[in-house]
Amino acid sequence: MREKVLEERKVLLISCDASSLVIDTLCKQAMREDAAVACFYLDFAAREEQSPAAILGSVLKQVVGGLDDVPEKIVKAFRDRGKVIGGQRLALGEIVEFLRDISSSRCTFICIDALDECPARHRAGLLDSLNQILQKSPGARIFLTGRPHVGGEVERHPAGRAATRSITPTKGDIVIFLRAKLREDTMPDAMDESLEQEIIQNIPEAVSEM
Amino acid sequence: MSQYNIQDNVNCFNVWNNYTVADEKSNILAWLSPLEPRIRHHDIRTRRVDGVGEWFLQTEEYRNWFGGIRGSESDGSALFCCGGPGVGKTYIR
Repeated sequence: MREKVLEERKVLLISCDASSLVIDTLCKQAMREDAAVACFYLDFAAREEQSPAAILGSVLKQVVGGLDDVPEKIVKAFRDRGKVIGGQRLALGEIVEFLRDISSSRCTFICIDALDECPARHRAGLLDSLNQILQKSPGARIFLTGRPHVGGEVERHPAGRAATRSITPTKGDIVIFLRAKLREDTMPDAMDESLEQEIIQNIPEAVSEM
Repeated sequence: MSQYNIQDNVNCFNVWNNYTVADEKSNILAWLSPLEPRIRHHDIRTRRVDGVGEWFLQTEEYRNWFGGIRGSESDGSALFCCGGPGVGKTYIR
């Protein structure tokens, strides 16, 4: 049913220069639908500045950036507080409310990478905020990546909402990767056919046995 | 002559009005967040090898999530993709 609803919607696309496989795929698929795609890469080195409000503020910025018109509530908030240099930014609760408003009428994909690089004190707030968005907005979808040890937190926060998929590179992935790297070889004279075959056969075997 | 002036003024107003609306939107976006995740996007996309991880898009978990279809363990609205360091989570995503 949802797929049918999605197909009937018009196009709204954000972050067409987005990077990785899922984002690129979502952007292509969203070309046919009224969908927004926003993403955020968590980084341990920037952990102090990556609070839940900063992360979801960035997501809100991407979503609003793709709209023809900025929602009135956001314009009002900006006019009330934002015009002053260093003006007070939105609080986390306000950001969540705006994201809920937008994703209640428009399919919104939010992709967050490396959840394990978010400090535990921020992670709980982030997951709770994402859960609040999901609760009120049937059009919202959350895609998370992270190391397995944060899986329990993901399952607890959006209880009953999150499916989990374990990722390991396949032999096919490794072969494609090796062939791409061999094509970039800066010393092709040092390579011959038998060495190339040996690399293509042995490395995927060795990796899959690790 | 006076008609020309009126039209000219209207055009000037439209240009000014469009400029200020666009300008305010860009100020609002800057106010919402100073962060620029697109820079990181570009870096990751440049390094990702085409074809790697395509199988992930065919998994039941991804397809259910994209379609918002309830699975055995989830309502289809969230998907957590996990793995150890270096397995390619960032590139899959």
